[in-house]
Amino acid sequence: MRKIVIIGGSAAGMMAAIAAAEQDPDAEVTVVTRDRLPYRRPAIPALIAGYITGPAGAKIFSPETLGRYNIELICPAEVTNIEPKSKVISILSNGKEEKLAYDAAVIATGGHPLIPEIPGADKKGVCTFTTYEAAAEIVETAKTASCAVVVGAGFIALEIAEALMYKGLDVYFNVRSRILRKLVEPEVSEFLIHKFEQQGLRMLTGEAISEVGGKSSVEYVVHKGNKIATNLVVMGTGVKPNVALAEKCSIELGPSGAVKLDNRMQTSVVGIYAVGDCAESPDLGTGRFVYSPVGSIGASAGKIAGRNTAGANQETAGFLRAQADQILGMQIFSIGHSTTSAKEVSLKVNVHDLSPPESTGKERITKPFEVAKLLTDDNDKIVGAQLVAKKYGAQFAWQLYGAVLARENREEFLERFNSPRMKVAEALVHAIKSTVVVESVGEDKALALADTASQENTN
Amino acid sequence: MDKAIMINIEKCLACKSCEIACAVAHSKSGVLEEAVEELPRPQRMVTVEAAGEFGVPLQCRHCEAAPCIEICPTGAIQRFDEQAPVVVDADLCIGCKLCMLICPFGVLQIGPEGRAIIKCDMCLERMGKGQEPACVEACPTGALKLISLKEATKSKRREASKQLVKEVEQKKSKSEEK
Repeated sequence: MRKIVIIGGSAAGMMAAIAAAEQDPDAEVTVVTRDRLPYRRPAIPALIAGYITGPAGAKIFSPETLGRYNIELICPAEVTNIEPKSKVISILSNGKEEKLAYDAAVIATGGHPLIPEIPGADKKGVCTFTTYEAAAEIVETAKTASCAVVVGAGFIALEIAEALMYKGLDVYFNVRSRILRKLVEPEVSEFLIHKFEQQGLRMLTGEAISEVGGKSSVEYVVHKGNKIATNLVVMGTGVKPNVALAEKCSIELGPSGAVKLDNRMQTSVVGIYAVGDCAESPDLGTGRFVYSPVGSIGASAGKIAGRNTAGANQETAGFLRAQADQILGMQIFSIGHSTTSAKEVSLKVNVHDLSPPESTGKERITKPFEVAKLLTDDNDKIVGAQLVAKKYGAQFAWQLYGAVLARENREEFLERFNSPRMKVAEALVHAIKSTVVVESVGEDKALALADTASQENTN
Repeated sequence: MDKAIMINIEKCLACKSCEIACAVAHSKSGVLEEAVEELPRPQRMVTVEAAGEFGVPLQCRHCEAAPCIEICPTGAIQRFDEQAPVVVDADLCIGCKLCMLICPFGVLQIGPEGRAIIKCDMCLERMGKGQEPACVEACPTGALKLISLKEATKSKRREASKQLVKEVEQKKSKSEEK
């Protein structure tokens, strides 16, 4: 019987476990995780807002689900070493050392919060959220605080800011460069900052906070020389890969500092795979390996690694990063590359403004979306798209996703995007051309007919 | 799936009875008086959207080839068999929101509970008891109807045939007038 051990119980690790169990139902699949309970990171805002309470509320991959796949969970436990030669994993569980034999293993140890080097950043009241315990501290502190400073640039940092605002706190948002820098173009960042400020979020831009002050716990922060009184500072400044275990057993790291992989998600050591925030992942299109700590990519990579541990031989060409969120009344979609992420894979991109499709006149919705960008490579193929809308953004986003995934030509895409009617008209012309109508009335008349028909069709 | 909720926008008054009924049906208590006090607030999975002169009560269409099932990286969105609606297993949802991005109708939402995705489940529980979905039952004008696709296409064919006959007769009488 095949023995598979997964180290880490978040999205990537759990998906590896489930995929392995599905691939080989006879395999003995074990998940070793440090967290008290597998925890759903996007649940933090709901925890802060008070919609859910305790670790049970944020749970994911419950024992029942794992039981369905016959997955054993060892938790809380720390993996202390892997010996690739003898194929043994040492774990420390409740102070006792144990040894687990394995045929294949997956390292999904995730990331550590990346805390900027600011004087005083170790004070009580400076919180992160990569584990449930850390997130619980935010929830506790927010109960008594009246003001909070969220430092970061990403979606989760913004979601936390929104949740704290919902709790009635005065929220400052500190970003060194600009919000969602990796995901959207500068213009889109500007637009969002403006909108968020209108909603009451106080932006501290231009530079990072220079000091966290107070006796033992936070009392104030300093930004551009100004003191801002606060008892809570949330560091949403990103993650760095947790590769301590991988380094211990001499697994090679990539230039980003995360575990280096092949297209089967296998590390430099045969039989050991790595996925999630501790590892690199291939970018779709260029195939270059980058550090992209995104939940959906982790889960997709986890599935591939899991199957391969259980005897499959699956390769991936790469993953398409796509993210969506709704923050302070704005729907934000970011698909594929932005100029920032394109630089990482040395991809030259051109940015194009995307104007909303023409309104059909009768519709009251004058502005289907607020701002959108298309990114193309030198051959005018679409490699990225960003969209911000107040409502109904999804109706455009799914088309953009399809275009990025298929690397569609920009002009061809725009033709379709700007007028859904075009497709109908084309189909009709095609149908008409193949009949006697064209012969009898001529092509011009047939085209006119098709146009009227398509208009009637859409009306 | 043969069953579907058909929307007749010409009959919709935009009274939003469906929205309330949906939220109540998916609340803890299942009773309006208690549901309004519940926290987190019971969420509706059908929304009446304004589109020009019409109101469109829109819920998940339970697509045959559902893009949300395709894109979900954890398999949290699924249908148990061909005749079943598309549902979310919250325990597998990592909250990546890709389904929100890909759904052409925009009917998937971020739920308040742990931010797992929520969507119309076609009132599985009610249907199991032989009741109609809550939104359908609540609709005062019949703008929302639970139909069998086979029956619906049949009645549509009949309507179309009648229309054709009508047009032919009109043309005839016109040419006779001349």
